[in-house]
Amino acid sequence: MRKTKKSLLAVLLTVFMILVSLTTACSSNTEEAEQNSAKQGEASQKSNEATTYPIQTDKKLTYWAGLNSNLAGIKSSLDEVPFFQEWQKRTGVPLTFISPTAGQQNEALNVMLASGELPDVIEHSWINFPGGPEKAIKDGYILKLNDLIDQHAPNYKKYLQDHPEVDRMVKTDTGSYFGFPFIRGDESLLVFQGPIVRQDWLDELGLEMPTTIDEWYTVLKAFKEKKGASAPLSFLSDGRLAALSNGAFIGAYGINLGFYLDNGQIKYGPAEPQYKEFLATMSKWYAEGLLDKNIATTDSKTLDANIITGATGVSIGNAGSNLGKWTPLLSEQNPKAVLAPAPYPVLNKGDVPRFGQYDNPFAVNGTAAITSTSKDPELAVKMLDYAYSEEGHMLFNFGIEGVSYTMENGYPTYTDLMMKNPDKLAPAQALSLYIRGNYFGPFVQDKRYSEQYNVLPSQKDAIQVWKTEAKSTKLPPITATPEESTELAKIMTDVDTLVNEMTLKIILGSEPLSSYESYMERLSTLNFDRAIEIQEAALERFNKR
Amino acid sequence: MMIPVIAYYVIFQYGPMYGAIIAFKDYSPMKGVMDSEWVGLAHFQSFFESYYFWRILKNTLILSLYSLCFEFPAPIILALLINEVRNKRFKSIVQSVTYMPHFISLIVICGIIKDFTNSGGLINTFITYLGGDGQAMLQKPELFRSIYIISDIWQGMGWTSIIYLAALMNVDQEQFEAARIDGAGRLRQIWNISIPGILPTIIIMLILRIGNLLSVGFEKIILLYNPAIYDTADVISTFVYRKGLLEFGWSYSAAVGLFNSVVNLILLVLANRLSKKFSENSLW
Repeated sequence: MRKTKKSLLAVLLTVFMILVSLTTACSSNTEEAEQNSAKQGEASQKSNEATTYPIQTDKKLTYWAGLNSNLAGIKSSLDEVPFFQEWQKRTGVPLTFISPTAGQQNEALNVMLASGELPDVIEHSWINFPGGPEKAIKDGYILKLNDLIDQHAPNYKKYLQDHPEVDRMVKTDTGSYFGFPFIRGDESLLVFQGPIVRQDWLDELGLEMPTTIDEWYTVLKAFKEKKGASAPLSFLSDGRLAALSNGAFIGAYGINLGFYLDNGQIKYGPAEPQYKEFLATMSKWYAEGLLDKNIATTDSKTLDANIITGATGVSIGNAGSNLGKWTPLLSEQNPKAVLAPAPYPVLNKGDVPRFGQYDNPFAVNGTAAITSTSKDPELAVKMLDYAYSEEGHMLFNFGIEGVSYTMENGYPTYTDLMMKNPDKLAPAQALSLYIRGNYFGPFVQDKRYSEQYNVLPSQKDAIQVWKTEAKSTKLPPITATPEESTELAKIMTDVDTLVNEMTLKIILGSEPLSSYESYMERLSTLNFDRAIEIQEAALERFNKR
Repeated sequence: MMIPVIAYYVIFQYGPMYGAIIAFKDYSPMKGVMDSEWVGLAHFQSFFESYYFWRILKNTLILSLYSLCFEFPAPIILALLINEVRNKRFKSIVQSVTYMPHFISLIVICGIIKDFTNSGGLINTFITYLGGDGQAMLQKPELFRSIYIISDIWQGMGWTSIIYLAALMNVDQEQFEAARIDGAGRLRQIWNISIPGILPTIIIMLILRIGNLLSVGFEKIILLYNPAIYDTADVISTFVYRKGLLEFGWSYSAAVGLFNSVVNLILLVLANRLSKKFSENSLW
């Protein structure tokens, strides 16, 4: 009897002790949480006052970003670039730069992520991260920045408040902000790519500027027969006709090379019946020698050579990096040569092209995200927020006043150091040393940059000539959920392989046009309908944002 | 004395092997190998069920067999030929010229191949000169294997022949003299003395080669191929590259890599056993 009583007491005592320890643990937790929220409250109060730059800090952040290709051969690392030196000086945050090998961004990032040793800031097209930015946050690579932006990024926050259409694009479906994006700050900056033609050949042969596919055929034929062009139409291919992906030539058939928007519905060009007509035309052009014989392997080096030697009379390129590069090189070879922008081809005369290059204001490249292992995320946010301030905006777009630009009647004008460089650097190269305006990065691009950067009359015309209705067919930056995206990636790897292969084989004539139908059947066995379903769900979520 | 050796193997050879378990997990570097979720054979399954599985397996095997049939004998033949040259200067020139390509970086080699085979390239200019029809060769699926193997032979033949030349040096010179006295011609000497003399080396090299049968050098294919020739050029490793490295599928790539290694190991053991049975030579 006594024994049971004793043991009962012992049990009660133990239970009591456990309870006590639990409650104290709980209360201490709540206390801590309260303290934390109090701290945050303080911080968010502080956020109303902007950070004063330069920030006083003894911490050094690591920054992972690609080297602008314009700098190839001039500077070997970002540390040596005056812009990046000035940026550190102005923000007060010392940075150590890590740059991936040019052209191998994805691979380099992959290896770095796999190693688990991350820098503080990574510039990347995070929207294209496999699984989307949401997965990158969920898997613990990068931070969800909502609170940090609220507290420490008043400039960026203000920009988003003033531009709700951009705000919608730069966050995920669940409203997470994942980085500091590259934003094209003006409508005129959204169109910069299109067909380019040898105007002097057209004039010489008495031909009008072509608009329809039939007229283009005549022009290409004339270029081949009368001007001896061995590859009359040539463009960057990368094995999948990359230069057509914005809708040049293929857009005439009312479709695009990938996913696009058709009256609010998501469609996939290669699965539409018009794709066969597009293939028919291309294979005909290829067979007749109007399309570059090496179209599957054409890279930028070959393309440059084709243009400069006069093997090519028609291409597709950018106002800045192509028209601006080819024109001087070409006129060195042949003073009479003139390159001009040409309108996106249509099928019937007078039609307005539905497809063409049109960038969303939120350009996917160069979004700076902060990693989960960052030593000081707050400092990183403050440092990145600088670019969205008045002063930072000028630095990123125009550089240092008195060195790279001067204010003339309130207009920031690039100096001769930029436009007529004494060291014989092309404007694109000189500018890349002092500004980030002609490259992507975490800031808002200013149209006054392109007004001066595109100096040739042909470049200035281009934006007008390349006008299309692409805004209505362009997909916004939608993202699948992390779960869906694994499935989508699996389907699309096989679909891309099939479509790229089929497209090239039919164009090159190693498969007859009639095999298109059997390819389409195979497409359905790859579970393609599910891919469309996933994309539609993502679009719906985007529209609800 | 054994301790450093054992330590080396444990730390650098066997240690990393535990990483192979990510093939059975949904690996995320941030969680680490241990804390990532187990998914069992899901990655293997998705690889075997992949729409293109049979094509890439076939391409890998064919390319490997071609290289075994054509690439493997080339350095042996070259070594035998060089060995027959009596003029010392000529011999060393031939040797230098043939092993020079080995030192050129693969990227440069592929650039050269691309330039030579495109529609306006050197080879096509020559073909058109002879009245043929020039075409972009790297867009023809039926030509890819030949281009791959021929360029491989050109690049590696001279370098690999060094090992056989070294083996030939060790063949007893008196045997040649005796054969000559008996009236054996050059060919007979090669057939009855030189080849048997280096046979052990050949067999060891062959066994090692078979152990790598499924590992086709993928860097070169990545640099050369395009969708038009996936039919013959897409192999396991390039498929994995597209899937794994570009889409961040570490576990998937690990699964395929493990599959590759297992098949290679089985082939190696088999080849070794066969060789042991039919000749005196074996790796172990």
